[in-house]
Formats: sequence, structure tokens, C-alpha cells
Amino acid sequence: MLNRILDHLEEWLIATFMGLATLIIFASVLYRYTGDIPWIWQYTQVLNLTWAQELCIYLFIWMAKFGAAYGVRTGIHVGVDVLINRLPEKQRRVGVLLGLGAGAFFTAVVAALGAKFVWLMYGTGQVSPDLELPMWIVYLAVPLGSALMCYRFLQVAWRFRRGEPLPSHNHARVEGLQAEGRG
Amino acid sequence: MSGWIIFIGLILLMLTGMPISIALGLTVLAFLFFMTDMPVEIVSQRLFTGLDQFAIMAIPFFILAGSFLTHGGVARRMIRFASALVGHLYGGLAMAGVFACALFAAVSGSSPATVVAIGTILIPAMEKQGYPRRFGVGAIGTAGVLGILIPPSIVMVIYSVSTNTSVGRLFIAGIVPGLLLAAILMGIVWVVAKRRNYPRMPRADLKEIFASFWDAIWGLLLIVVVIGGIYGGVFTPTEAAAMSAVYAFIIAVFVYRDLKLADVPRVLLDAANMSAMLLYIITNAILFSFLLTSENIPQAMAQWIIDKHLSAWVFLMGCNVLLLIAGNFMEPSSIVLLLAPILFPVAVKLGIDPIHFGIIMTINMEVGLIHPPVGLNLYVASGIARMGLTETTVAFAPWIVIMVLYLLLVTYVPDIAMWLPNAIYHRPG
Repeated sequence: MLNRILDHLEEWLIATFMGLATLIIFASVLYRYTGDIPWIWQYTQVLNLTWAQELCIYLFIWMAKFGAAYGVRTGIHVGVDVLINRLPEKQRRVGVLLGLGAGAFFTAVVAALGAKFVWLMYGTGQVSPDLELPMWIVYLAVPLGSALMCYRFLQVAWRFRRGEPLPSHNHARVEGLQAEGRG
Repeated sequence: MSGWIIFIGLILLMLTGMPISIALGLTVLAFLFFMTDMPVEIVSQRLFTGLDQFAIMAIPFFILAGSFLTHGGVARRMIRFASALVGHLYGGLAMAGVFACALFAAVSGSSPATVVAIGTILIPAMEKQGYPRRFGVGAIGTAGVLGILIPPSIVMVIYSVSTNTSVGRLFIAGIVPGLLLAAILMGIVWVVAKRRNYPRMPRADLKEIFASFWDAIWGLLLIVVVIGGIYGGVFTPTEAAAMSAVYAFIIAVFVYRDLKLADVPRVLLDAANMSAMLLYIITNAILFSFLLTSENIPQAMAQWIIDKHLSAWVFLMGCNVLLLIAGNFMEPSSIVLLLAPILFPVAVKLGIDPIHFGIIMTINMEVGLIHPPVGLNLYVASGIARMGLTETTVAFAPWIVIMVLYLLLVTYVPDIAMWLPNAIYHRPG
């Protein structure tokens, strides 16, 4: 149950960040080029979109950190599996678990280091140049995203141990696009 | 010394099959912890600041635009237009396929996406017209590599980020080699089709040519938005990418209506998934190259090669071999992220143009995309045609030879890539 909520929240967050960032840059470009047109300028001059780039970058960093966790669940993070896939089944399973364990370890370390860094930032009270957002909130993406990613690695490892297949991303399949003809 | 430790550590970790991004990160972490006095905290900070560049953000935007385009029926209309133009020649549908791949490549920055968009429609259609399945799979799968050579190109954005080269120039430099490759592939299809007597389609009249052009115009206009926008100084490359994502959304949902508004979140999520994976590798690779630079490894390698008095000719040959080998293990973005920071300083010292070098790397990546064990185009094509991997590999084999020859041509005739950017920007570099 809790897992389901987390799954949805994760998907919802990254899709929203993606869409939002696109709209913001679109708006800021429109804004720049409609500035010469008086009747539009009349209404838009109260806006000030200089912060658009910064916000876009932050949105994408958040999207990237949480999306990386989502990616573990969808199996999109690929490695060099040429060698390991040739091992006999039993050794292969050990190897896969080792890989997932390494992923969990790395993300856990980063989450801890990130948390420490956020704490440090919180102490300095530094704010971002354009938006004047507190930097510790912005940097929060690193520990939160990394912790979630760690959880995902453990989850995949746990399921794999129980005999479920590894998630794998199929690049050839696009929803709503099926090969025509043939049978 | 430390260089060897770093690379051997990285290779060992990678061979366990763990994600490349994790292997990169762990190598840095372990090295910092055991071998240096540098605080490990720097890792978490770098994981954030590494991404803190507006130029990188072109990647998710181009991926999003690509997702909308693949879903959005743009490919189908481009195929119709291409068929109207070249369908009456020998191997008409295959020729149209290559042509359509080139058109789609001009709006999409990814090769596998190009194969998906064009191949899903054309590979089955070619089989229905009586082409051997292998021929269709090989031709369309190979033409799909144009996706990263004809601008926009995600691989070029990554190269420009990791070497500080101008994306705009790289894009411009990709145009002539891209068109040349499309022409070569079409020429080969024509010769093979003529010899084996593959079917031709009835010649389309002017009316159909215009009608299909008009039908495809919205997709084709995107080429103008991206290339024209960047070259004309209207947008930065990242802005152009965002504009093309919004534009692709509008034509897919409101103009062609092939995508329902309710499907949009799904497309956003798909694009976010792919982008996040790339951005995650990028952050870790930036971390890794930061470690290399702080250990002076690229500089030392550059010096070593200079001392050996290697000529640019030999160096480029070595690069091609190295990149082709790397193509056996990793997918393009990881290779570029990993090797560009190392090879680039040497190339510059040897007087190779950074833009030309970027095009060479891109073409190397194209070759990697069409051969096993990690070539994505190969997997995508085999998935579309429901053809086994071994047979798909056989289908691609002759095309790989062509691609390698083409690679040598562009490597040793720099003018192919450099003529257009030099003409436009009036000065080399």
C-alpha cells in the first residue's frame, strides 16, 4: 500500500517537473520575443522571467534525482552485462545481486553525504542567485533522491532474490505504436 | 600510477554488470577515500553542481520532443512524402525509408527513436511488398543512425557539454556528413535493389507530391525551428530544444491528433525516465572526469602522446579503434562522457579541430549502435521485426562494413564535416 503511494508520487513528481520545466522555458522565450509588441507588453511587463533558466535547471535536477530512482524500478540503468550473462545461472544470480548491492551502497553513501551537505548549507543560509530560494532546499534533491534510489535498489534486489525477473526497459516498444501487418 | 588504479578499478567494477553510472561513482568514491586527502563530501556537492548548467538541459527537452514525435504520426507523414519523391525508383520503398529516416533525424536527436518511428511502419510494409526481411531490417536500422548525425543530436549535446565546444557549430557540422551518409545509403539500396529486382512503386504525380508535402509540413517545419532558430540566433540550443518539445506536443495533440491529451502524462513520464537515466550517467561522469583532471591524467596522457611524436593521422586511427572497441561494451552517451574528456585535450594539441573530432566521435557511436552486443538500433530493429538477434546481426553485417568505410572517409577528409561550419562562421574552429 505504502509502496503504491510512493510509486505514484514518484511518477507524478517527475512527469510534472518535466512538463513544468518545458512550459517555463517556452514562456520565457515567448516573453522575450513579445516584449517588442506594445499591446502584449502592456500586460506582461509586470512579469519578470529572468529566473526562468534557474528554475528550469533546478526542476530538471530534481527530476533527474527522482527519475534515477524511478529508473531503477523500470530497469533503464544499464551496465556492461556481456560478461555476467555468460556465467552459469547460479554465479550470474550472485553477480546481479552484487551489482544491485553496489548500487544500494553507493546511493546510501551519497544520501548520507548529501544530508550532511544540506545541513551545512542550512547553517550558511545561502540563497540562489535569481530566485533567492534557500540553497539547502534546492540541494535537498541529492539526499532525498539518492535515498529513494537506494530503497529502489534494495527493493529490486529483494524481488530478484525471491525469483522475480529483473525489470528491463524495452526501447523498441512505444505505447500506441505497434508494427502493422504481419499476421 | 593513480591513472592505472582509477581505470583498472573502473573496468573491474563495470565488468560486474552494475550500472555504468554506479561504477563511475563508486570508483571516484573509493579513490577519494583511500588514495587522497580530498574530502569525500565533495562528491555530493559535485553530484548537484555537475548538472547546474543550462546547456545540459537541452538533453531532456530533445528527448521529450522525440517522444511526442514518435507517438505523433509525424513519421507516417514523412514516409508518405518520401515515398512520393523516390518511391518510383528501384527499391522504392527502401529508398523512401532511408529518406524518411533522414527527415525524421532532422527533428529527432536520437537514433533508436528514429528506428522506432520509421521502422515500426516501414519494416513490415517492406516485407509485405516482397523485400526480404533481412534487407528491410538492415537498411532501416542502419539509416536510423542518422538520428544522431543530422542535427539535432543528443550525442552532440553531450560531447559539447563534456568538452566545452559549441553545440550550434557541431549541429551545423553534422548536416553535410549526415546528408552524405543518407545519399550513400540510398545509393547502395538502389544498386542492390536494381540487381535483385526489388519492387518499384508507381510514380507519384505532382499532385500527390504536393499533397504529401503539405500533409507533412508541420513536421518539416520543426527542422526550420531547430536549425534556423539556433543558427539565426533566435534561441540558444536549450531553448530551441524546449520550443521543439512544445511544438511537437502541439502538432501531435492538436494538429495531427494522433495523441490524446490523456496520453500526455505517459509521454512525459517516458521522456523523464530516459532523461533521468542520461542525466544520472552525466553527473557521475562529470564527477569522474573531475577526478581525472584533479589527478592530471588527461594532461599526462596528452604529454605522453606528444612525446611519442604520434601524428594526428595515427592518433585518429587509434581513437577510431578505441571508440569502436568501446562500442562493444557501452552505449554512446557513456562512451562520449567517459572518453571525450580524455581524448579531447590530445586531439586539440595535435591540431585536430574540436568540431571535426566531435563528428568523428559521433560517427563512431553510430557504428556502435548497429552491432552487438550493445547496439540499441540492432535491438530495436530486431524487436520491431520480431527477428532473432543472430539473424538481425547477419542482416546488419554488410551495413557495418559500409559504416566503417564511411567513418574513415569523414575522419581523413575533414572538409566533409568542416566545410559548412567554416563557410558559415567564416573562421575555422
